[in-house]
Amino acid sequence: MGCHFTKGLPALLLSSVVVCLIPSSVSAQSPLSKEELLISNDPVGHPGGHLVVSLRSEPKTLNPVTSIDISSREVIAQMTGDLIHINRFSENTEPALAKSWKVSRDGLEYTLKLRRGLRFSDGSPLDADDVLFSFHAYLDEKVNSPQRDLLLIGGKPITIQRMDADTLVFRLAQPYAAAERLFDSVAILPRRLLEQAYNDGKLSQTWGLDTSPQQIAGLGPFRLKEYVVGQYLTLERNPYYWKADREGRRLPYLDQITFIFVPNADAEVIRFQAGDTDMVNRLSAEDYAALEKEQTAHSFHVYDAGPSLEYNFLLLNLNSSLPAQSEIAKKQKWFRDVKFRQAISLAIDRDSMIRLIYRGRGTPLWTPVTPASSFWIDNAIPHPPRSIDQARKLLQQAGFSWSRNGELTDDTGSPVKFSILTSASNSQRVQMATIIQQDLKELGVSAQVVSLEFRSVADRIFRSHDYEAAVLGLAGGDTDPNSQMNVWLSTGNDHLWDIGEAHPATSWEAEIDRLMEKQLTTLKPQARKILFDRVQEIIAENLPIISLVSPNVLVGAKDQLGNFRPAALDPHTLWNSQELFFSVTVAARQR
Amino acid sequence: MKFLVRRFLHSVFLLMGVSLLSFSLLQLTPGSFFDEMQLNPQISRATVSRLRAEYGMDRPMLQRYVCWLESAARGDWGLSFAYNAPVAPLIWARARNTLLLTGLALPLAWIIALPIGVLSAGERYRWIDRGGNLVASVLLVTPELLLALGLLWLALRTRWFPAGGMASVVPIKHGAAAHIKDLVQHLFAPVTVLVLGSLPVLLRHIRSAMVDALQTPYIKAARSHGIPYLRILFRHALLAASSPLLSLAGLSLASLLSVSLLVEVIMNWPGLGPLLLEAILARDVYVVVGAVMLSGLFLVCATAVSDVLLFIADPRIRTEDLA
Repeated sequence: MGCHFTKGLPALLLSSVVVCLIPSSVSAQSPLSKEELLISNDPVGHPGGHLVVSLRSEPKTLNPVTSIDISSREVIAQMTGDLIHINRFSENTEPALAKSWKVSRDGLEYTLKLRRGLRFSDGSPLDADDVLFSFHAYLDEKVNSPQRDLLLIGGKPITIQRMDADTLVFRLAQPYAAAERLFDSVAILPRRLLEQAYNDGKLSQTWGLDTSPQQIAGLGPFRLKEYVVGQYLTLERNPYYWKADREGRRLPYLDQITFIFVPNADAEVIRFQAGDTDMVNRLSAEDYAALEKEQTAHSFHVYDAGPSLEYNFLLLNLNSSLPAQSEIAKKQKWFRDVKFRQAISLAIDRDSMIRLIYRGRGTPLWTPVTPASSFWIDNAIPHPPRSIDQARKLLQQAGFSWSRNGELTDDTGSPVKFSILTSASNSQRVQMATIIQQDLKELGVSAQVVSLEFRSVADRIFRSHDYEAAVLGLAGGDTDPNSQMNVWLSTGNDHLWDIGEAHPATSWEAEIDRLMEKQLTTLKPQARKILFDRVQEIIAENLPIISLVSPNVLVGAKDQLGNFRPAALDPHTLWNSQELFFSVTVAARQR
Repeated sequence: MKFLVRRFLHSVFLLMGVSLLSFSLLQLTPGSFFDEMQLNPQISRATVSRLRAEYGMDRPMLQRYVCWLESAARGDWGLSFAYNAPVAPLIWARARNTLLLTGLALPLAWIIALPIGVLSAGERYRWIDRGGNLVASVLLVTPELLLALGLLWLALRTRWFPAGGMASVVPIKHGAAAHIKDLVQHLFAPVTVLVLGSLPVLLRHIRSAMVDALQTPYIKAARSHGIPYLRILFRHALLAASSPLLSLAGLSLASLLSVSLLVEVIMNWPGLGPLLLEAILARDVYVVVGAVMLSGLFLVCATAVSDVLLFIADPRIRTEDLA
């Protein structure tokens, strides 16, 4: 059986896997007969071994329907499977539990064919009813699944119809670009184990951390073995996993993965240095530099996997809901002047930020799209170098002047002073705010850095709007612009510079709304790219947020780990856990 | 008996006050558990509002406090937003590890401090007293944080003991003896920090109580009767100095507990510390209130035990109670 790629978005459907039907004898390592396994094209490894990784906090649940926190999702991702998967390395979609899919001409219908003969990790068979049940659970308003919002297209839920035991049709209320990306991370649940809880209205309380391993089943490469409160969680190899290597050996190679819980990034690095863990998923530039010196002596390597999706930016408060007499509203007169915002952007030394904060392992930004989204970034956006002279000219044009002592004053003679709010727990952003403070001094602007605890910052940004400027960062889970709709639409939750707009406050925001809505329903990637490029141009011209810098993805792993290929998308290191393997000697020693 | 009843009632009122105070302070703190979700562009405002309502966060504070009291009476101690599970089992599971740490550190600290403190008082201004004073002064000015970081550095450099955690994830040998050995190795660093951190206070108090006792007429009389000096120190003077030391024992447990929360976070010990820190940062209100209540309970129990011991050891308190 050959590949089953279908029309739709050919550029996004390139994959490193092929689908094969393998008849074979039944064993833990070899595939069952009539199982349509997915054959990986990655280098063949050795079976065995116990991988130990750290999590920066304890997972809170093993329930894919209600999980929100990163740690839970990271563990759940190892235990569950989705219909169509985004390859974290290529950033393209590829077949997973669905061996193929067809898109109707109008882009409203997706017909998915399930792989035959697959089993959950407890040995029970997978069929279309499990998929149907899973989507009903995610979409049920009473369950309050965070994934529900992803499955609402044009405000209406996706409808699913079971055609036969292997075929399902998903209908969308309106065309949705790259709709197959929605299937990624919507874990398919075993109806047999969860239907009763769902009918009793207790689905959100099931599959907590205290659940017995026999009560949890999934379609991921690993299944639950043991959870020790506050210490670690161990997963063991799923003997029914649906991927095999080129030699027909069923994946994963590793026998076990243990996640140990650490309270912070420092502890994560210490445990890695001490040899307690085999890889580290995210390193700061300082830790990277420190570990780089030790790598040869301690048989591990640190890797710079290139740009991440995280973009940091300076936000000036443009919220229109503030009382006119408030102190912030008076300063908004400056912030609302596009020339003022452009001058601020020109005065910021992004290269210094990269050098001082990221030790050269980052990228300066002039658009909120990072180079990690190589397809979507608009490379035509100008990268004006830092220029205090140019910034001064813009401020003069906007009616600002300078007092005798060099202080910038507005047309009423008031000195230009504002505070920059940032999260105290993120030292990099505190440093960014400090560099901005220094840079703005050269313009005669007095900026005060106010670092508060993260949730206090969030409260001021989202609820009270009690801030003047802020240094924040966002990191999308996907490269596709659809994942950022809530940031760019004027009615979006994360339309940070002016939250809660009923209508676009400016003509350029109205244009962004129109372009984003249009790209959402445009099915051709190149046509979408043109629309999104225009969005980036508008943002670069009007600077509702002033893009600053993006850090690289820095990770570490033991030398003996094979097929280790860190990716820009989360999870950077464990995205191909089924293909990771230890060298023969390490695997044998661990046994 | 009256004394015990009075102590119990005081404790109940104290714990009620602690719960109300911690509950109110957390409500006044800006930000909520659900704020982080708002930074996720893929979660809508409506979903966040529904979740807030599901957990009762849209209700007035007093109503939420009454609900929490009901839940505490049932033994749940509220519902954790993060874990979507009752708070009590979450806390108890970790409190065991905290108690193991402090339960070892406290007696160990006393075992070390008691002979040194007693001998320092007996050998006032001699080398043992001066040496003890010097050690106590150095430890007093060294923050526990620095001690913990120093030990972690030593662990990384020498690999003599583990650099965090409570157990090896990949055990080299199986069996109870290997597990106990592994646990002891993992206990070494956090227990050392806790012991060294509490030593100076214990040393100074023991020395001071003993100096007072040694100056009493009956000790002088005992010395003039030719009773061996060490016997006087450890049998007679120490007994006379026991009242303030028993009070100190209760308080030292409370202070050790609060230090242990910090040490647990630094040394990656799976006790209440990491849970409490995460809950505070995440505004997981009921977990924080539960953990504070448990710390309060430990303090109350420890002081109650020391009061009872005082009651037994000191006839003056018994006389007061009878009066």
